[in-house]
Amino acid sequence: MLGIFSGAKMIFIGVILTAVVGGFLYVKGLQKDLAVAKENMIKMEQAISDQKKVIEQQKIDFEAIIRANKELVEQQNKLTEEYKSLDKKFNKINASGKKRDLGALAIKKPRPIEKIINKGSDHATRCVRVAMGEPITEEEKNATKKSQINPICPDLVNPSYVPY
Amino acid sequence: MFLTSCSSIKPLEVLNLEIKREPLKLEDPKIADFEDLEWYIINSENAEDVFSKLKEKKIDPVIFGLTDEGYEALSKNFAQIRHYIQQQKLILDKYREYYEDVKKPVDK
Repeated sequence: MLGIFSGAKMIFIGVILTAVVGGFLYVKGLQKDLAVAKENMIKMEQAISDQKKVIEQQKIDFEAIIRANKELVEQQNKLTEEYKSLDKKFNKINASGKKRDLGALAIKKPRPIEKIINKGSDHATRCVRVAMGEPITEEEKNATKKSQINPICPDLVNPSYVPY
Repeated sequence: MFLTSCSSIKPLEVLNLEIKREPLKLEDPKIADFEDLEWYIINSENAEDVFSKLKEKKIDPVIFGLTDEGYEALSKNFAQIRHYIQQQKLILDKYREYYEDVKKPVDK
């Protein structure tokens, strides 16, 4: 009789012990999972923050690209206008409604036209040098009168000049 | 006991590796040192006068000529070459600004 009770007691104690140890390990596991989940949360927050920075940088980059394209288009338009004005210089319509004829002028007044051509050539050379990156002089920078400017490329060489 | 050993949550691994490229930093080419040139205008009336002046200056009395239309074409071609240089320069400046964060000088 006593042996049966003693055996049942042992089994009961064994079950209790198993339950306690199992419960303890289960809670430990949960705590470990919680710690990992917390760590993951921090990492995800960091990743989100990094992604936000990337998106912000992309926004800045897009704006820079748009700005650069705008400047290129503006320059293209200016150069087109400049080219048109060069064409007008050669084919200007005078007061009598006739097109300017450089050849006829050169036959009539070779010396003055020679001077004009040489001056124009110097101006054109100066334009190329500035286009290549040579800095403009103070005199060129402050020129505001027609007589002071480089008539070939005023936009490039004479930034203070406003056509009138 | 079996339940505790098979957790479904795995540690997250985030790798951030950024290696910046070395900037190219190429220098601009030197600005061309153009030689002076002088134009002469010759018509049927002043030709002898121009050639005798060339002789006086000890310059070979020979002229490489252009008509008025040829001169106009040369001027326009020269302008187009300059415009191309200007555009290329602006594009280069913009690339530098974008990739190297180098601003072009303000007083330009």
